[in-house]
Amino acid sequence: MAESLDKLHNRILSDARLKAAETIRDAEEKAKRTLDEARAQAQRDADEILSKASLEAEGIRRSILSSRIRANRLRILDEKNKIVQNVLKSVEQKLSEVASTDQFQPTLKRFVTEAVDAIGMDDAVVRVGFYNADRKSLESLGRTFPRGTRLVVDENPIDDLGGVVASDAGGKMIFNNSFRARLERLDNQLLTTISSTIFGE
Amino acid sequence: METEAQAKRILEEAKSETQETLERAAVEAQNVRQAAISHAEQQKAQILKDTRERAETDARSSDMETNSLLENYKKLFEERREVAVKKAVDLILGG
Repeated sequence: MAESLDKLHNRILSDARLKAAETIRDAEEKAKRTLDEARAQAQRDADEILSKASLEAEGIRRSILSSRIRANRLRILDEKNKIVQNVLKSVEQKLSEVASTDQFQPTLKRFVTEAVDAIGMDDAVVRVGFYNADRKSLESLGRTFPRGTRLVVDENPIDDLGGVVASDAGGKMIFNNSFRARLERLDNQLLTTISSTIFGE
Repeated sequence: METEAQAKRILEEAKSETQETLERAAVEAQNVRQAAISHAEQQKAQILKDTRERAETDARSSDMETNSLLENYKKLFEERREVAVKKAVDLILGG
């Protein structure tokens, strides 16, 4: 009787130990799974952070470079513009002094002819005005005009730089052939000429 | 009675050990994730720093190229200014 009680006693304890061991094993397996999942998730989190960092880095690089390149392009354009404006200033200076050069008489005749032709009237009025132009030589030019054309000599240079303005007798039709007007009309060609000469473009 | 109590104690001890194991695992899991994220954040900071430095270096190189180009323009201007003025004046005079 005592022996069978001992056996029962041992069996109860043995069962308890087995069950305890199984419980602990399950917990250890669960703990291992938890850690494995955590490691995998940590790797995914890290990958995502680095992937975003890579995109962010590319954005930063593009932003730094594009803003600097844009700024440098503006510097280049600004410098070119300054150079062209400087040349244009010299051109205006030269044009205002043209009356004292050999080019004056042929230029004047050409400007007058162009302006009168543009008006296309027999009774055109031609106004001329240049810096330092000899009034007598301007007036003598009137004799070379077609019959009916009237010459008016301005004391002041027309449009600041000098030139010729033709109109019909009523002043309704006007052709401005001043240097300033020609500078504006030939603006594109002028810029191309200056740029190609200076910059070779 | 005593045997039952002993068996019950064995099971309770196992349960307690189990609880501790799972708690330790949870803490360790949290630490693993935090460490990985922290390391990745450090790497990210380094990547961004390196990128900024490299971009600044490239930008400085662009600045230097531009400076050189501007110097060249000034030289060309000095050399070709008179020719450009003459051509432009001739264009306006139309001769």
